[in-house]
Amino acid sequence: MIQFENVSKVYEHNGKELRAVDGVDISIEKGEIFGVIGFSGAGKSTLVRLVNLLEQPSGGNILVEEDDLSRLSKPGLRKMRKRIGMIFQHFNLLESKTVLHNVAFPLIISGTPKKKIKARVEEVLDFVGLSDKAHQYPEELSGGQKQRVGIARALVTSPDILLCDEATSALDPETTKSILQLLKRVRDEYNLTILMITHEMNAVREVCDRVAVMENGQVIEQGSIFELFSNPQHPTTKNFIQSVMESDIPPSILSGIEERGGGRHVYRVTFVREKAAQPIFSQVAKNYQVEVNVLFGQITELQGIPFGQLVVELLGEDREIVRALDYIQRTVSVQEVEADAG
Amino acid sequence: MQVNLLEFWPKILQAINETLIMVGVSLVVAALIGIPLGIALVVTRHGGLLQNSAFFKGLSVVINFFRSIPFIILLVAILPLTRFLVGTSIGTAAAVVPLVLFSGPYIARLVESSLMEVKPGVVEAAEAMGASPWQIILRVYVPEALSSIVLNLTIATIGLVGASAMAGFVGGGGLGDLAIAYGYQRFETDIMIVTVLLLVLLVQIVQTLGNVLSKKMRRQ
Repeated sequence: MIQFENVSKVYEHNGKELRAVDGVDISIEKGEIFGVIGFSGAGKSTLVRLVNLLEQPSGGNILVEEDDLSRLSKPGLRKMRKRIGMIFQHFNLLESKTVLHNVAFPLIISGTPKKKIKARVEEVLDFVGLSDKAHQYPEELSGGQKQRVGIARALVTSPDILLCDEATSALDPETTKSILQLLKRVRDEYNLTILMITHEMNAVREVCDRVAVMENGQVIEQGSIFELFSNPQHPTTKNFIQSVMESDIPPSILSGIEERGGGRHVYRVTFVREKAAQPIFSQVAKNYQVEVNVLFGQITELQGIPFGQLVVELLGEDREIVRALDYIQRTVSVQEVEADAG
Repeated sequence: MQVNLLEFWPKILQAINETLIMVGVSLVVAALIGIPLGIALVVTRHGGLLQNSAFFKGLSVVINFFRSIPFIILLVAILPLTRFLVGTSIGTAAAVVPLVLFSGPYIARLVESSLMEVKPGVVEAAEAMGASPWQIILRVYVPEALSSIVLNLTIATIGLVGASAMAGFVGGGGLGDLAIAYGYQRFETDIMIVTVLLLVLLVQIVQTLGNVLSKKMRRQ
């Protein structure tokens, strides 16, 4: 469990104040994968470093597993840090040491007996699928393998929390997918709480339960992946969602609508859950004197739930269209599309 | 010329011996001083593990001070200190004192630059794991920079070979002294050529050893 209560971090630079994190309230449940997404400079990197006090907060409280971080002594903090694993964008492995030694490192510094270290390291290396690479050096590994070493190193002390700092941002899409699946397995098998920060909406959509969107140090929107995708409020959130779900109507289709002139009825219909499977439009066409012209759309899956958006044009008498629309609105969410606004 | 060389051979052997002692002893003592100082420079600087600006600035000024004095002047200027430390101001042992004062601060700077090459992210990762500052120094900074430190110590060693020739001039003996005393001042060109060739050979050996050792240290 990680709880941010009105947390701020202010940097002073040449007499100017920079609020990297500004009044953040986030509550992350045990066993949850929580994503923080934002463009670079949004403050998410600072936010994640506040959890293990790599950065000192300027204000507010951070509770980690019931402990108030600011009250910990230096040895107490080091002890707490052993319960928080962290992985990084650039892996941050010791280049001069073997994979085995890298993974053993957290145990070595906490004075674990050698025999125990060996057994535990073999266990986690097996979990991340790198048993055969134990005696190789980081520079002999691919990016994905290096991140697996990073994950093994973070897991070796059996922590309660795993912090991921842009953990997949330096990887290609295929590798990103496999690392994200590994993180999911980590959560499922070890019941870890995972806080991941990223600028990739794809990564968030793939594994997160809930997500917070950050901008200028503030959380501008947070909720379940589903809530955010199906009903984004803030323009930045919409931007991120567009990065993985094309929701802009392509210009050629748009100009086609415009050419036909006034009286057009174009709507964006958002389907969620089982409704995506319902043959809504065929029912509409059957029951009302309208024709349905699907202009554009896509259907995908979010956390195992079908989710789709269609842009449709209703053709027919105004009165019938109003009735049809009323029917559609009873089951799914509908938005009128202004042709010029897209 | 052959006769001449044979006659001088024991002198040359003795000179080699003196050079090796001067360079070897100075290197060990200077490294024992310079390496900790280099580490101190890195960890006390702004944003370092044990940030202490006053200490950092003070140390930096002292190191710069010693590094700015030309060796030949240092040699003479510290004669009283040398006499106090080793009981005499001439001979091979006496030459070690100025050589240490000359190369200790130099090694501190070289070690500093080696340690600065360690990626901050690796240090941060160790901090995040709950490593203490000491553990980070001994288990992250030093092993990660060791290959580079060895290369830099090789540079310092070769610098010491050069400086030891000058130290020899004021009574320390060694190959440099032989070259100057016989070859330059008494026009025995063949002796000068032999000693210079021996110095060239010595530097080649040191650099090769340094390269091999440095490569080994990249993977421990």
